[in-house]
Amino acid sequence: MNEENGRYVYCIIKSPGEKKSFGNIGFGGQEVYTLEYRDFAPVVSNAAVKKYEASDEEIELHRNVVEQVMKEHSVLPVAYGMAFKNKKLLLIAMSVGYKAMKKAMNEVDNRVELGVKLFLPKENATWDGKEECKSVFLETLKKKAVQSKELKLFSERLILNTSFLVDGDKINDFSSEVEQLGNQYQDLKIQYSGPWPPYNFVDIQILSRKRGGFR
Amino acid sequence: MFIIDDILLKAVGITIPGLSLVWTLEQIRDFAYKELYNPEKIKNKIKENRLLFEFGELTSGEYENNNAKLLQELKLAERGTEMNLSVRTDILGAR
Repeated sequence: MNEENGRYVYCIIKSPGEKKSFGNIGFGGQEVYTLEYRDFAPVVSNAAVKKYEASDEEIELHRNVVEQVMKEHSVLPVAYGMAFKNKKLLLIAMSVGYKAMKKAMNEVDNRVELGVKLFLPKENATWDGKEECKSVFLETLKKKAVQSKELKLFSERLILNTSFLVDGDKINDFSSEVEQLGNQYQDLKIQYSGPWPPYNFVDIQILSRKRGGFR
Repeated sequence: MFIIDDILLKAVGITIPGLSLVWTLEQIRDFAYKELYNPEKIKNKIKENRLLFEFGELTSGEYENNNAKLLQELKLAERGTEMNLSVRTDILGAR
């Protein structure tokens, strides 16, 4: 596998106008930098095309890069493990996905994703007020968000797992709403997380494994 | 002994699906494999394990231990799914 030619993509941003470096924070300590495609810039590092293991450390590295980029730019997240054989194939994928990226960027520009999980305590896993509590949370928080997406309840104790797309300047509003709700339901365990790149609000298939013909 | 009987019956081309005990056992076994080697279920457990750790219900050692086991299970399950090897896996006696 040729590391010099392969490009691992972390996310896509609006073109900063010139090549921008984010430092040597990529896989293998490689430099993370931008390439140019029209008014977009994929954020990449030179890396081998291989199956990237879903280990905590590697996912953390991907996440950290995107977080660094997010400090200054609106990002279109790219799924973990997306590497292209060379720059040319990456740019072909960018051209095929251009329209979808344009649309997605309009939706998520200057917005972030915030996650709310409600978890039943161990000793009260059969609480019968959970449906009502879930709707109170959803109704209240949806008012403060642009969009929301209910995610999989991957545990029997999990009663709500929802991501909200929130305007950057309304994060504080949203947070205090979560806090107030938390005070109303003190028995519940609440995980409030973010700001995340809008992973659950961008769905550009062209870069994904499902149609990975360009990799 | 019924297994041998059934194999013998199969060898001469006689099987009655639904009535055959081996057939039934195979269905149960396949179902069990699907449950055991279901990548989605294992992924759920991985996420649940993480959440329990984040809520302080597991120590970092417990979390690491569970996580390593689950990742190993997931690897196996995904390999099984990719190759559709559930039957062969059984013959090889792998778990």
